[in-house]
Amino acid sequence: MLEFLLALLTTVTVGALLVPLLRTSARRTERLDSALQIYRDQLAEIERARADGTTPETEAAAARIEVERRILAAANAADAATPKDSSALHRFLPPALALLIPLLALGVYLNVGRPGLPAAPFGTRPAADHPNPNEQMTPERLLAEARARLAQQPDDPDALSALGEALVLEADGSVTPEAIEAFNKALAQRPDDPRAHYYLGLHEAQSGDSKAAVARWQALEARSPPEAPWLPMLRAEIARVSRAAGMPAPQAQTGMPTPTRDQVEAMQSLNPEQRQQAIRSMVEGLDLRLKENPGDRAGWLRLANAWRVLGENAKAADAYAKADALGPLDTKTLTDWAEAHVRQIAPGAPPPPEAVAVLERLEKAEPRNALALFYLGAASFAAGDKPAALRRWKTLLQLLPADAPIRGLLEERIKAAE
Amino acid sequence: MNRRLLFLLPLATLALMAGFFAWSLLAGRDPASIGSVLVGRPAPRLEVKALRDDEPPLTDALLRTGKPTIVNFFASWCTPCLAEHPLFTRLATRDGAVIVGVAWKNKPPEARAWLKRLGDPYKFAGADLDGRTGLDWGLSGVPETYLVDGQGIVRRHFRGPITERDVNETILPFLKGAK
Repeated sequence: MLEFLLALLTTVTVGALLVPLLRTSARRTERLDSALQIYRDQLAEIERARADGTTPETEAAAARIEVERRILAAANAADAATPKDSSALHRFLPPALALLIPLLALGVYLNVGRPGLPAAPFGTRPAADHPNPNEQMTPERLLAEARARLAQQPDDPDALSALGEALVLEADGSVTPEAIEAFNKALAQRPDDPRAHYYLGLHEAQSGDSKAAVARWQALEARSPPEAPWLPMLRAEIARVSRAAGMPAPQAQTGMPTPTRDQVEAMQSLNPEQRQQAIRSMVEGLDLRLKENPGDRAGWLRLANAWRVLGENAKAADAYAKADALGPLDTKTLTDWAEAHVRQIAPGAPPPPEAVAVLERLEKAEPRNALALFYLGAASFAAGDKPAALRRWKTLLQLLPADAPIRGLLEERIKAAE
Repeated sequence: MNRRLLFLLPLATLALMAGFFAWSLLAGRDPASIGSVLVGRPAPRLEVKALRDDEPPLTDALLRTGKPTIVNFFASWCTPCLAEHPLFTRLATRDGAVIVGVAWKNKPPEARAWLKRLGDPYKFAGADLDGRTGLDWGLSGVPETYLVDGQGIVRRHFRGPITERDVNETILPFLKGAK
């Protein structure tokens, strides 16, 4: 149907272009014909009058000459109005246009058109856009689910948070008193529930206490693991609310700047030494930014890791200490921190007190950590506490696989302690 | 010659309009602000039926109690009202403000359901179904909020939703100062 309409449109357009061209030449010949007809009539009249004798011979001859002169003039005028080249143009332009326009359209279509392209109906789009429409998350549905869960476990913090969230969705994003109650109940069960904190912060922002909201959200941000799915939204909300309240924008998570594509390509063209230099200058840039903005815990962690990888163990240990002051570290990070410390130790020397402090925390978090056992043993040994040293080293010996290269050294040490 | 001048007329009109628009854009005035004639004058008559069941209708006496009052026109169908609603809840619960709410061109059952869901910060609530009282008060739409002092004089008129800044910089000082 559409194709037919388009063809019709083309035809009409070509027709509209052709009609005036054909019409002008036709009209011109008509005009000449009608003029000649008049002159012919005049000549016939003059001839009749001469034959009747009403007009003398000489006068009739003069009149005839006059009419003939006009005929010649009219023919000349018609010729002048239709120059030779224009008449050629008129002859060739219409068929040329009639051929060229469809040909041009066909050429454009063959270049641009994709006749084999299948239609993109609603159902075949990626599932991410449209999850199963039968399972749409309407507030009513979420509300019913949360209530059903609460009926079984009235104190389940997840269900309480879910109920609060559903209530907020039902109220078009306004955190209602009922929802606040649910979130507070959830927090009573689980004091760091991120969803409850997020929505209570939203309530604070909605009820005119943006400062409290931003503080709550920033605390939540610092507590959240770096890959938490809610972090991007949380950061956007912090930025939005502090902007709306006219507060100074919170320092965005500085961290490592993500290198652009150009930078990555430039990096790949460097030789290894230059590349190392470039990485080092990026890490130093991060270091400088963190000195201006020392409250960025995630940034310090990233910096510590970067220094550790670059082998700058003293700087890495410093950065871990800075991050540690801002929030508790997990065991993995404690291990990295302790490693940064012990790598600075000369072979055979006991660990210095800062290292011992970190190692002791690591041992507390993970009593069978090989790194902590080995170096704390050495520290105990150096301090003269041989039983403690022996206990740690013997524990470690049991943990080590039979072919561990360090076994020999460890056995030697144990012997020395005994 | 005269006819040619006539052809310049559309061009001159265009230039005149462009000049006016440029001035409007650049003069730094707020085109949304249409001012209010009520500020500094006694509040218009308040005579509406109660929104909630079994309550007496609202009268002018509510505005001349000697205590400052906030008069808020709202509707359940209005989204900005949803945004400013938690601020009124906070003013009522935390700051003890007396708030008169008038549901404007809003069916009472719908307004009541809305308040039930979001919480009801209004000490007195009226229903102005046909918008007649809104007309008296010079309402241009909802939400609009008036600060009325203890003598019934309108001190401030907010057109549009109130914000956290309005609460902190205007409403709270007003409540404190007028007491």
